[in-house]
Amino acid sequence: MTAGEVVGRIKKNLGAPWRENSYRDTFKSGGPETQVTGIATTVFASFDVIQRAVAAGLNMIVPHEVTYWNDRDDKSLVSADPLLYQQKLEYLAAHNVVIFRTHDSMHDQRPDFTFVGSAREIGLDAKYETAPGSHRFVVPETTLGALASSVQRRTGAKALRVAGDPNARVSRIQLGVGYATGAANDPGVDVVISGEQQELDGVLDSPEYVCDAAALGIPKGWIMLGHAVSEEAGMLEMAQWIRGFVPEVPVQLVKAGEPFWAP
Amino acid sequence: MTRLSRREFVRLGTAGAAAAPWILDPAALGAATISALEAIGRIQKAAGVPWNAQTVDGFKVGDPSRPVTGIVTTSLATVDVMRRAVKAGANLIITAGPTFYSRADTPAPPAPDPVVAAKNEFVAANHLIVWRFSEHWRLRRPDPFAQGLGDALGWARARTKGDAARLTVPALTLEALAARVKSRLDARGGVRVVGRQQTRVRTIGLLPGTRSIQEMVALLPRVDAVIAGEIREWESSEYARDVVNAGLGKALILVGRSLSEDAGMGVCADWLRTIVPEAPVRWLPAGDPYWRPTA
Repeated sequence: MTAGEVVGRIKKNLGAPWRENSYRDTFKSGGPETQVTGIATTVFASFDVIQRAVAAGLNMIVPHEVTYWNDRDDKSLVSADPLLYQQKLEYLAAHNVVIFRTHDSMHDQRPDFTFVGSAREIGLDAKYETAPGSHRFVVPETTLGALASSVQRRTGAKALRVAGDPNARVSRIQLGVGYATGAANDPGVDVVISGEQQELDGVLDSPEYVCDAAALGIPKGWIMLGHAVSEEAGMLEMAQWIRGFVPEVPVQLVKAGEPFWAP
Repeated sequence: MTRLSRREFVRLGTAGAAAAPWILDPAALGAATISALEAIGRIQKAAGVPWNAQTVDGFKVGDPSRPVTGIVTTSLATVDVMRRAVKAGANLIITAGPTFYSRADTPAPPAPDPVVAAKNEFVAANHLIVWRFSEHWRLRRPDPFAQGLGDALGWARARTKGDAARLTVPALTLEALAARVKSRLDARGGVRVVGRQQTRVRTIGLLPGTRSIQEMVALLPRVDAVIAGEIREWESSEYARDVVNAGLGKALILVGRSLSEDAGMGVCADWLRTIVPEAPVRWLPAGDPYWRPTA
Protein backbone atom coordinates (compact mmCIF):
# COMPACT_ATOMS: atom_id res chain seq x y z
CA MET A 1 0.00 0.00 0.00
CA THR A 2 1.59 3.29 -1.07
CA ALA A 3 0.64 6.80 0.02
CA GLY A 4 -0.20 7.54 -3.62
CA GLU A 5 -2.78 4.73 -3.60
CA VAL A 6 -4.35 6.11 -0.39
CA VAL A 7 -4.56 9.61 -1.87
CA GLY A 8 -6.00 8.17 -5.09
CA ARG A 9 -8.79 6.50 -3.12
CA ILE A 10 -9.45 9.73 -1.14
CA LYS A 11 -9.85 11.61 -4.44
CA LYS A 12 -12.05 8.86 -5.91
CA ASN A 13 -14.37 8.73 -2.88
CA LEU A 14 -14.54 12.48 -2.19
CA GLY A 15 -17.70 13.09 -4.21
CA ALA A 16 -16.49 16.55 -5.18
CA PRO A 17 -14.10 17.73 -7.89
CA TRP A 18 -10.47 17.60 -6.74
CA ARG A 19 -8.73 20.98 -6.73
CA GLU A 20 -5.63 20.16 -8.74
CA ASN A 21 -4.15 23.62 -8.11
CA SER A 22 -4.59 23.59 -4.32
CA TYR A 23 -1.35 24.44 -2.55
CA ARG A 24 -2.85 23.07 0.66
CA ASP A 25 -3.89 19.52 -0.24
CA THR A 26 -0.47 18.21 -1.18
CA PHE A 27 2.34 16.06 0.24
CA LYS A 28 4.21 17.89 3.01
CA SER A 29 6.65 15.07 3.76
CA GLY A 30 7.44 11.91 1.83
CA GLY A 31 5.55 11.28 -1.40
CA PRO A 32 3.29 8.93 -3.35
CA GLU A 33 5.90 6.16 -3.36
CA THR A 34 6.16 5.94 0.44
CA GLN A 35 4.96 2.58 1.78
CA VAL A 36 2.18 3.08 4.33
CA THR A 37 2.08 1.08 7.58
CA GLY A 38 -0.94 2.88 9.02
CA ILE A 39 -2.77 6.19 8.83
CA ALA A 40 -3.28 8.86 11.50
CA THR A 41 -5.80 11.64 11.00
CA THR A 42 -5.34 14.79 13.08
CA VAL A 43 -6.00 18.51 13.00
CA PHE A 44 -2.34 19.63 13.12
CA ALA A 45 0.74 17.62 12.18
CA SER A 46 2.44 18.76 15.36
CA PHE A 47 5.78 17.22 16.31
CA ASP A 48 4.00 15.50 19.20
CA VAL A 49 1.32 13.99 16.92
CA ILE A 50 3.98 12.76 14.50
CA GLN A 51 5.91 11.06 17.31
CA ARG A 52 2.79 9.43 18.76
CA ALA A 53 1.68 8.24 15.32
CA VAL A 54 5.10 6.69 14.68
CA ALA A 55 5.00 5.02 18.11
CA ALA A 56 1.60 3.54 17.17
CA GLY A 57 3.05 2.21 13.90
CA LEU A 58 1.27 4.75 11.70
CA ASN A 59 3.65 6.43 9.26
CA MET A 60 1.09 8.31 7.15
CA ILE A 61 -0.38 11.47 8.67
CA VAL A 62 -3.48 13.08 7.17
CA PRO A 63 -3.81 16.46 8.90
CA HIS A 64 -6.46 19.07 8.19
CA GLU A 65 -4.03 21.86 8.99
CA VAL A 66 -0.38 22.71 8.53
CA THR A 67 2.92 21.01 9.29
CA TYR A 68 5.42 23.89 9.02
CA TRP A 69 3.47 26.61 10.89
CA ASN A 70 2.12 28.53 7.90
CA ASP A 71 -0.78 28.05 5.51
CA ARG A 72 1.32 27.31 2.43
CA ASP A 73 3.66 25.11 4.43
CA ASP A 74 6.30 27.33 2.88
CA LYS A 75 9.49 26.16 4.57
CA SER A 76 11.35 29.34 3.64
CA LEU A 77 9.17 31.32 6.09
CA VAL A 78 10.27 29.24 9.07
CA SER A 79 13.64 27.73 8.16
CA ALA A 80 15.37 30.48 10.16
CA ASP A 81 14.07 28.79 13.32
CA PRO A 82 17.11 27.32 15.07
CA LEU A 83 15.06 25.39 17.67
CA LEU A 84 12.99 22.78 15.96
CA TYR A 85 12.67 23.16 12.20
CA GLN A 86 15.66 20.96 11.35
CA GLN A 87 14.82 18.48 14.11
CA LYS A 88 11.27 18.04 12.81
CA LEU A 89 12.48 17.50 9.24
CA GLU A 90 15.08 14.98 10.36
CA TYR A 91 12.56 13.08 12.46
CA LEU A 92 10.14 12.87 9.52
CA ALA A 93 12.90 11.54 7.24
CA ALA A 94 14.34 9.12 9.81
CA HIS A 95 10.92 7.52 10.41
CA ASN A 96 9.81 7.50 6.78
CA VAL A 97 6.77 9.62 7.59
CA VAL A 98 4.51 10.72 4.76
CA ILE A 99 2.17 13.68 5.32
CA PHE A 100 -0.73 14.53 3.02
CA ARG A 101 -2.91 17.48 4.03
CA THR A 102 -6.66 17.37 3.42
CA HIS A 103 -8.01 20.88 3.91
CA ASP A 104 -9.74 22.25 0.83
CA SER A 105 -11.05 18.81 -0.10
CA MET A 106 -12.59 18.31 3.35
CA HIS A 107 -14.40 21.63 3.07
CA ASP A 108 -15.55 20.71 -0.47
CA GLN A 109 -16.91 17.36 0.68
CA ARG A 110 -20.60 16.93 1.66
CA PRO A 111 -21.11 16.68 4.45
CA ASP A 112 -18.05 18.66 5.57
CA PHE A 113 -16.71 16.49 8.41
CA THR A 114 -15.26 19.49 10.26
CA PHE A 115 -18.82 20.80 10.78
CA VAL A 116 -20.23 17.34 11.47
CA GLY A 117 -17.61 16.67 14.15
CA SER A 118 -17.86 20.06 15.82
CA ALA A 119 -21.69 19.96 15.94
CA ARG A 120 -21.50 16.43 17.38
CA GLU A 121 -19.02 17.46 20.06
CA ILE A 122 -20.85 20.68 21.02
CA GLY A 123 -24.19 18.88 21.03
CA LEU A 124 -25.87 20.83 18.23
CA ASP A 125 -28.33 18.18 17.13
CA ALA A 126 -29.25 17.95 13.42
CA LYS A 127 -32.92 18.44 14.37
CA TYR A 128 -32.06 22.05 15.29
CA GLU A 129 -30.36 22.85 11.97
CA THR A 130 -32.52 25.15 9.79
CA ALA A 131 -31.51 23.21 6.63
CA PRO A 132 -28.85 20.56 5.97
CA GLY A 133 -25.54 22.35 5.54
CA SER A 134 -26.82 25.76 6.71
CA HIS A 135 -24.75 25.35 9.90
CA ARG A 136 -27.42 27.52 11.55
CA PHE A 137 -29.08 25.97 14.57
CA VAL A 138 -32.15 27.29 16.35
CA VAL A 139 -32.03 25.80 19.83
CA PRO A 140 -34.41 26.28 22.77
CA GLU A 141 -33.76 29.74 24.21
CA THR A 142 -30.97 29.87 26.77
CA THR A 143 -28.48 32.42 28.08
CA LEU A 144 -25.09 33.05 26.52
CA GLY A 145 -23.52 32.10 29.87
CA ALA A 146 -25.29 28.74 30.01
CA LEU A 147 -24.50 28.04 26.36
CA ALA A 148 -20.81 28.88 26.86
CA SER A 149 -20.61 26.63 29.94
CA SER A 150 -22.16 23.77 28.03
CA VAL A 151 -19.83 24.26 25.06
CA GLN A 152 -16.80 24.35 27.34
CA ARG A 153 -17.88 21.24 29.25
CA ARG A 154 -18.54 19.26 26.07
CA THR A 155 -15.40 20.27 24.17
CA GLY A 156 -13.11 20.40 27.20
CA ALA A 157 -11.61 23.58 25.76
CA LYS A 158 -9.76 25.07 28.72
CA ALA A 159 -8.92 28.34 26.97
CA LEU A 160 -12.17 28.99 25.10
CA ARG A 161 -13.03 32.70 24.85
CA VAL A 162 -16.42 34.36 24.96
CA ALA A 163 -17.59 37.91 24.22
CA GLY A 164 -21.02 39.30 25.04
CA ASP A 165 -23.37 39.60 28.00
CA PRO A 166 -23.60 36.24 29.86
CA ASN A 167 -27.27 37.03 30.58
CA ALA A 168 -28.18 37.69 26.93
CA ARG A 169 -31.05 35.43 25.85
CA VAL A 170 -30.01 33.55 22.72
CA SER A 171 -31.27 30.76 20.50
CA ARG A 172 -29.98 31.24 16.94
CA ILE A 173 -26.45 29.85 16.58
CA GLN A 174 -24.20 30.06 13.52
CA LEU A 175 -21.58 27.33 13.65
CA GLY A 176 -18.26 28.01 11.97
CA VAL A 177 -15.08 25.93 11.87
CA GLY A 178 -11.43 26.95 12.10
CA TYR A 179 -11.04 30.42 10.64
CA ALA A 180 -14.31 30.16 8.65
CA THR A 181 -16.20 32.16 11.25
CA GLY A 182 -19.52 33.84 10.61
CA ALA A 183 -20.03 37.56 11.18
CA ALA A 184 -21.79 38.46 14.43
CA ASN A 185 -23.70 41.32 12.79
CA ASP A 186 -25.95 38.96 10.81
CA PRO A 187 -29.47 39.95 11.95
CA GLY A 188 -30.53 36.28 11.85
CA VAL A 189 -27.84 35.20 14.31
CA ASP A 190 -27.57 35.60 18.09
CA VAL A 191 -24.33 33.71 18.65
CA VAL A 192 -21.41 32.66 16.47
CA ILE A 193 -19.47 29.62 17.62
CA SER A 194 -16.26 28.81 15.78
CA GLY A 195 -12.54 28.29 16.06
CA GLU A 196 -10.66 31.49 15.45
CA GLN A 197 -11.34 34.97 14.13
CA GLN A 198 -9.17 38.04 13.65
CA GLU A 199 -9.86 40.43 16.51
CA LEU A 200 -9.52 43.79 14.75
CA ASP A 201 -9.06 45.26 11.25
CA GLY A 202 -10.96 42.46 9.54
CA VAL A 203 -14.07 42.56 7.37
CA LEU A 204 -16.21 42.49 10.52
CA ASP A 205 -14.58 42.67 13.94
CA SER A 206 -17.06 40.49 15.78
CA PRO A 207 -15.61 40.69 19.33
CA GLU A 208 -15.83 44.50 19.41
CA TYR A 209 -19.24 44.40 17.72
CA VAL A 210 -20.56 41.95 20.31
CA CYS A 211 -19.13 43.99 23.22
CA ASP A 212 -20.86 47.13 21.90
CA ALA A 213 -24.08 45.18 21.36
CA ALA A 214 -23.87 44.04 25.00
CA ALA A 215 -23.36 47.64 26.17
CA LEU A 216 -26.45 48.65 24.17
CA GLY A 217 -28.59 45.77 25.41
CA ILE A 218 -28.69 43.96 22.05
CA PRO A 219 -28.37 40.18 22.60
CA LYS A 220 -25.30 38.88 20.73
CA GLY A 221 -22.58 36.39 21.59
CA TRP A 222 -19.23 35.14 20.28
CA ILE A 223 -17.72 31.84 21.43
CA MET A 224 -14.31 30.81 20.08
CA LEU A 225 -13.07 27.29 20.77
CA GLY A 226 -9.63 27.81 19.29
CA HIS A 227 -8.67 26.58 15.82
CA ALA A 228 -7.43 23.14 16.90
CA VAL A 229 -10.39 22.27 19.13
CA SER A 230 -12.85 23.53 16.54
CA GLU A 231 -11.59 21.34 13.70
CA GLU A 232 -10.20 18.30 15.48
CA ALA A 233 -13.51 16.60 16.30
CA GLY A 234 -14.26 16.00 12.62
CA MET A 235 -10.98 14.19 12.12
CA LEU A 236 -12.68 11.24 13.83
CA GLU A 237 -15.28 11.16 11.04
CA MET A 238 -12.37 11.52 8.60
CA ALA A 239 -10.63 8.45 10.06
CA GLN A 240 -13.85 6.41 9.87
CA TRP A 241 -14.40 7.49 6.26
CA ILE A 242 -10.86 6.56 5.15
CA ARG A 243 -11.13 3.21 6.99
CA GLY A 244 -14.09 2.41 4.74
CA PHE A 245 -12.00 2.38 1.57
CA VAL A 246 -8.52 1.61 2.94
CA PRO A 247 -9.02 -1.71 4.74
CA GLU A 248 -5.40 -2.80 4.26
CA VAL A 249 -3.87 -0.72 7.09
CA PRO A 250 -5.03 0.62 10.47
CA VAL A 251 -6.57 4.11 10.39
CA GLN A 252 -7.12 6.12 13.55
CA LEU A 253 -7.45 9.61 14.98
CA VAL A 254 -4.34 10.85 16.79
CA LYS A 255 -5.43 13.99 18.58
CA ALA A 256 -3.27 17.09 18.56
CA GLY A 257 -5.41 18.49 21.38
CA GLU A 258 -5.76 22.05 22.58
CA PRO A 259 -2.43 23.91 22.57
CA PHE A 260 -3.50 26.41 25.25
CA TRP A 261 -4.22 26.54 28.92
CA ALA A 262 -5.63 29.49 30.80
CA PRO A 263 -4.35 31.07 34.01
CA MET B 1 -2.99 60.67 35.35
CA THR B 2 -3.96 64.36 35.21
CA ARG B 3 -0.96 65.47 37.27
CA LEU B 4 1.18 67.81 35.17
CA SER B 5 4.93 67.63 35.14
CA ARG B 6 6.83 70.84 35.73
CA ARG B 7 7.72 71.06 32.05
CA GLU B 8 4.12 70.51 30.98
CA PHE B 9 2.93 73.13 33.48
CA VAL B 10 5.35 75.66 32.03
CA ARG B 11 4.08 74.90 28.52
CA LEU B 12 0.48 75.25 29.65
CA GLY B 13 1.29 78.59 31.27
CA THR B 14 3.00 79.86 28.14
CA ALA B 15 0.07 78.91 25.93
CA GLY B 16 -2.37 80.58 28.32
CA ALA B 17 -0.32 83.80 28.50
CA ALA B 18 0.05 83.99 24.74
CA ALA B 19 -3.68 83.61 24.23
CA ALA B 20 -4.78 85.97 27.00
CA PRO B 21 -4.19 89.43 25.44
CA TRP B 22 -6.71 88.81 22.64
CA ILE B 23 -9.45 87.34 24.77
CA LEU B 24 -11.96 89.97 25.97
CA ASP B 25 -14.49 87.68 27.62
CA PRO B 26 -13.29 87.48 31.25
CA ALA B 27 -14.96 84.09 31.69
CA ALA B 28 -12.82 82.67 28.92
CA LEU B 29 -9.66 84.34 30.09
CA GLY B 30 -6.82 81.88 30.26
CA ALA B 31 -8.92 79.01 28.92
CA ALA B 32 -7.25 78.62 25.54
CA THR B 33 -9.25 76.40 23.21
CA ILE B 34 -8.18 74.30 20.31
CA SER B 35 -10.22 72.50 17.66
CA ALA B 36 -9.86 68.77 17.11
CA LEU B 37 -8.43 69.52 13.67
CA GLU B 38 -5.77 71.78 15.18
CA ALA B 39 -4.96 69.28 17.92
CA ILE B 40 -4.54 66.44 15.43
CA GLY B 41 -2.47 68.63 13.09
CA ARG B 42 -0.13 69.29 15.99
CA ILE B 43 0.03 65.58 16.86
CA GLN B 44 0.83 64.61 13.27
CA LYS B 45 3.63 67.14 13.18
CA ALA B 46 5.06 66.16 16.57
CA ALA B 47 4.84 62.42 15.94
CA GLY B 48 8.13 62.60 14.09
CA VAL B 49 7.26 59.82 11.66
CA PRO B 50 6.48 60.22 7.95
CA TRP B 51 2.72 60.29 7.36
CA ASN B 52 1.50 57.60 4.95
CA ALA B 53 -0.90 58.55 2.17
CA GLN B 54 -2.68 55.20 2.50
CA THR B 55 -3.47 54.67 6.17
CA VAL B 56 -6.14 53.49 8.59
CA ASP B 57 -5.34 56.51 10.76
CA GLY B 58 -7.62 59.54 10.57
CA PHE B 59 -10.99 60.99 11.63
CA LYS B 60 -13.69 58.31 11.78
CA VAL B 61 -16.74 60.18 13.03
CA GLY B 62 -17.70 63.58 14.42
CA ASP B 63 -17.00 67.18 13.45
CA PRO B 64 -13.25 67.91 13.70
CA SER B 65 -13.83 71.68 13.67
CA ARG B 66 -15.37 71.54 17.16
CA PRO B 67 -13.34 72.78 20.12
CA VAL B 68 -11.76 70.05 22.22
CA THR B 69 -13.10 69.81 25.78
CA GLY B 70 -10.86 66.93 26.70
CA ILE B 71 -8.96 64.07 25.08
CA VAL B 72 -9.28 60.37 25.81
CA THR B 73 -6.84 57.76 24.53
CA THR B 74 -7.78 54.09 24.35
CA SER B 75 -7.01 50.89 22.48
CA LEU B 76 -10.62 50.71 21.29
CA ALA B 77 -13.38 53.35 21.11
CA THR B 78 -16.12 51.03 22.34
CA VAL B 79 -19.54 52.28 23.46
CA ASP B 80 -18.35 51.70 27.03
CA VAL B 81 -15.23 53.85 26.50
CA MET B 82 -17.36 56.55 24.84
CA ARG B 83 -19.69 56.65 27.84
CA ARG B 84 -16.75 56.96 30.23
CA ALA B 85 -15.26 59.70 28.02
CA VAL B 86 -18.49 61.71 28.16
CA LYS B 87 -18.62 61.28 31.93
CA ALA B 88 -15.07 62.63 32.10
CA GLY B 89 -16.06 65.65 30.00
CA ALA B 90 -13.91 64.69 27.02
CA ASN B 91 -15.11 64.88 23.40
CA LEU B 92 -12.05 63.80 21.40
CA ILE B 93 -11.28 60.08 21.47
CA ILE B 94 -7.96 58.88 20.09
CA THR B 95 -8.13 55.14 19.46
CA ALA B 96 -5.65 52.51 18.31
CA GLY B 97 -8.34 50.18 16.94
CA PRO B 98 -11.21 50.64 14.51
CA THR B 99 -14.44 52.19 15.82
CA PHE B 100 -16.85 50.67 13.32
CA TYR B 101 -15.82 47.01 13.49
CA SER B 102 -13.63 46.63 10.41
CA ARG B 103 -10.53 47.80 8.64
CA ALA B 104 -12.84 49.92 6.44
CA ASP B 105 -14.03 51.53 9.71
CA THR B 106 -16.97 53.52 8.33
CA PRO B 107 -19.96 54.85 10.31
CA ALA B 108 -22.14 54.17 7.23
CA PRO B 109 -22.24 50.38 6.70
CA PRO B 110 -23.71 48.93 3.48
CA ALA B 111 -26.79 47.65 5.36
CA PRO B 112 -28.59 49.33 8.29
CA ASP B 113 -27.30 47.93 11.59
CA PRO B 114 -28.75 48.53 15.07
CA VAL B 115 -25.37 48.56 16.85
CA VAL B 116 -23.81 50.99 14.36
CA ALA B 117 -26.94 53.17 14.44
CA ALA B 118 -26.96 53.36 18.26
CA LYS B 119 -23.23 54.13 18.33
CA ASN B 120 -23.69 56.92 15.78
CA GLU B 121 -26.59 58.33 17.83
CA PHE B 122 -24.46 58.36 20.96
CA VAL B 123 -21.62 60.08 19.10
CA ALA B 124 -23.98 62.73 17.67
CA ALA B 125 -25.84 63.35 20.94
CA ASN B 126 -22.56 63.92 22.78
CA HIS B 127 -20.68 65.73 19.99
CA LEU B 128 -17.88 63.19 20.10
CA ILE B 129 -15.02 63.10 17.61
CA VAL B 130 -13.02 59.92 17.00
CA TRP B 131 -9.56 59.92 15.48
CA ARG B 132 -7.60 56.75 14.88
CA PHE B 133 -3.89 56.70 15.72
CA SER B 134 -2.50 53.23 15.12
CA GLU B 135 -0.09 52.78 12.22
CA HIS B 136 1.84 55.97 12.94
CA TRP B 137 1.89 55.71 16.73
CA ARG B 138 3.49 52.27 16.43
CA LEU B 139 6.24 53.62 14.15
CA ARG B 140 7.67 55.72 16.97
CA ARG B 141 10.79 54.52 18.77
CA PRO B 142 11.00 53.24 21.38
CA ASP B 143 7.96 51.16 20.39
CA PRO B 144 5.24 52.74 22.58
CA PHE B 145 3.10 49.59 22.63
CA ALA B 146 5.99 47.44 23.89
CA GLN B 147 6.96 50.18 26.31
CA GLY B 148 3.41 50.43 27.66
CA LEU B 149 3.05 46.67 27.98
CA GLY B 150 6.36 46.39 29.85
CA ASP B 151 5.35 49.23 32.18
CA ALA B 152 1.93 47.67 32.80
CA LEU B 153 3.58 44.40 33.77
CA GLY B 154 5.61 46.32 36.35
CA TRP B 155 8.88 45.76 34.56
CA ALA B 156 9.88 49.24 33.39
CA ARG B 157 13.32 48.72 34.94
CA ALA B 158 13.70 45.23 33.52
CA ARG B 159 13.85 46.59 29.99
CA THR B 160 16.88 45.90 27.81
CA LYS B 161 18.67 49.10 26.93
CA GLY B 162 17.65 50.24 23.45
CA ASP B 163 14.95 47.59 23.02
CA ALA B 164 11.56 48.20 24.64
CA ALA B 165 10.42 44.74 23.53
CA ARG B 166 13.00 42.78 25.57
CA LEU B 167 12.84 42.28 29.33
CA THR B 168 15.14 40.47 31.75
CA VAL B 169 13.24 39.79 34.95
CA PRO B 170 13.89 37.96 38.24
CA ALA B 171 13.34 34.28 37.41
CA LEU B 172 9.82 33.00 37.84
CA THR B 173 7.79 30.01 36.66
CA LEU B 174 5.54 30.27 33.62
CA GLU B 175 2.59 29.63 35.95
CA ALA B 176 3.55 32.69 38.02
CA LEU B 177 4.20 34.76 34.89
CA ALA B 178 0.79 33.92 33.43
CA ALA B 179 -0.90 34.84 36.71
CA ARG B 180 1.02 38.12 36.79
CA VAL B 181 0.09 38.97 33.20
CA LYS B 182 -3.55 38.27 33.93
CA SER B 183 -3.67 40.33 37.10
CA ARG B 184 -1.50 43.28 35.97
CA LEU B 185 -3.41 43.69 32.70
CA ASP B 186 -6.71 43.27 34.52
CA ALA B 187 -7.58 40.49 32.07
CA ARG B 188 -10.71 38.39 32.31
CA GLY B 189 -10.73 35.50 29.84
CA GLY B 190 -8.39 36.76 27.14
CA VAL B 191 -5.12 35.23 28.35
CA ARG B 192 -4.06 31.94 26.76
CA VAL B 193 -0.79 30.14 27.37
CA VAL B 194 1.33 27.61 25.47
CA GLY B 195 4.03 26.05 27.65
CA ARG B 196 4.71 24.01 30.75
CA GLN B 197 3.72 25.62 34.01
CA GLN B 198 7.07 24.94 35.71
CA THR B 199 9.23 26.34 32.89
CA ARG B 200 11.56 28.99 34.31
CA VAL B 201 11.36 32.39 32.66
CA ARG B 202 13.99 35.12 32.92
CA THR B 203 14.01 36.72 29.50
CA ILE B 204 10.79 37.91 27.87
CA GLY B 205 10.02 39.27 24.41
CA LEU B 206 7.00 41.49 23.81
CA LEU B 207 4.98 41.38 20.56
CA PRO B 208 1.92 43.58 21.15
CA GLY B 209 -0.58 43.90 18.30
CA THR B 210 -1.18 41.35 15.53
CA ARG B 211 2.06 39.52 14.69
CA SER B 212 3.38 37.11 12.07
CA ILE B 213 5.09 33.71 12.21
CA GLN B 214 8.25 35.31 10.87
CA GLU B 215 8.36 37.65 13.86
CA MET B 216 7.71 34.76 16.25
CA VAL B 217 10.42 32.57 14.71
CA ALA B 218 12.83 35.49 14.97
CA LEU B 219 12.06 36.21 18.65
CA LEU B 220 11.09 33.04 20.55
CA PRO B 221 14.50 31.33 20.14
CA ARG B 222 16.17 34.37 21.76
CA VAL B 223 14.01 34.56 24.90
CA ASP B 224 12.38 32.22 27.42
CA ALA B 225 8.85 33.53 26.80
CA VAL B 226 7.01 35.75 24.37
CA ILE B 227 4.01 37.81 25.42
CA ALA B 228 2.02 38.66 22.30
CA GLY B 229 -1.28 40.25 21.37
CA GLU B 230 -2.78 38.25 18.52
CA ILE B 231 -1.24 35.65 16.18
CA ARG B 232 -2.64 33.16 13.68
CA GLU B 233 -3.27 29.89 15.45
CA TRP B 234 -2.08 27.83 12.45
CA GLU B 235 1.18 29.71 12.75
CA SER B 236 2.73 30.91 15.99
CA SER B 237 0.85 28.93 18.63
CA GLU B 238 1.50 25.70 16.73
CA TYR B 239 5.16 26.63 16.41
CA ALA B 240 5.28 27.31 20.16
CA ARG B 241 3.46 24.05 20.88
CA ASP B 242 6.04 22.10 18.86
CA VAL B 243 8.94 23.84 20.61
CA VAL B 244 7.41 23.18 24.04
CA ASN B 245 6.63 19.53 23.31
CA ALA B 246 10.17 18.98 22.08
CA GLY B 247 11.27 19.80 25.63
CA LEU B 248 13.05 22.98 24.66
CA GLY B 249 11.49 25.08 27.43
CA LYS B 250 10.00 28.31 26.09
CA ALA B 251 6.49 29.69 26.37
CA LEU B 252 4.01 31.86 24.54
CA ILE B 253 1.39 33.98 26.29
CA LEU B 254 -1.37 35.54 24.18
CA VAL B 255 -3.40 38.40 25.62
CA GLY B 256 -5.43 39.53 22.61
CA ARG B 257 -4.81 42.41 20.22
CA SER B 258 -6.82 45.07 22.01
CA LEU B 259 -5.63 44.27 25.54
CA SER B 260 -2.02 44.15 24.31
CA GLU B 261 -2.39 47.70 22.96
CA ASP B 262 -4.22 49.27 25.90
CA ALA B 263 -1.13 50.30 27.84
CA GLY B 264 0.55 51.74 24.75
CA MET B 265 -2.30 54.21 24.51
CA GLY B 266 -1.55 55.18 28.13
CA VAL B 267 1.93 56.08 26.89
CA CYS B 268 0.16 58.07 24.17
CA ALA B 269 -1.81 60.03 26.80
CA ASP B 270 1.41 60.94 28.62
CA TRP B 271 2.94 62.14 25.36
CA LEU B 272 -0.18 64.08 24.30
CA ARG B 273 -0.10 66.15 27.48
CA THR B 274 3.11 67.68 26.21
CA ILE B 275 1.70 68.25 22.71
CA VAL B 276 -1.80 69.54 23.45
CA PRO B 277 -1.57 71.34 26.81
CA GLU B 278 -4.89 73.17 26.22
CA ALA B 279 -6.97 70.07 26.89
CA PRO B 280 -7.02 67.59 29.77
CA VAL B 281 -5.83 64.20 28.54
CA ARG B 282 -6.97 60.96 30.08
CA TRP B 283 -6.20 57.31 29.31
CA LEU B 284 -9.27 55.06 29.41
CA PRO B 285 -8.27 51.43 28.87
CA ALA B 286 -10.86 49.49 26.84
CA GLY B 287 -10.14 46.38 28.89
CA ASP B 288 -10.32 42.68 28.07
CA PRO B 289 -13.25 41.95 25.71
CA TYR B 290 -13.20 38.25 26.59
CA TRP B 291 -14.38 36.05 29.43
CA ARG B 292 -14.73 32.32 29.88
CA PRO B 293 -17.06 30.26 32.02
CA THR B 294 -14.28 28.90 34.24
CA ALA B 295 -12.45 32.18 34.81
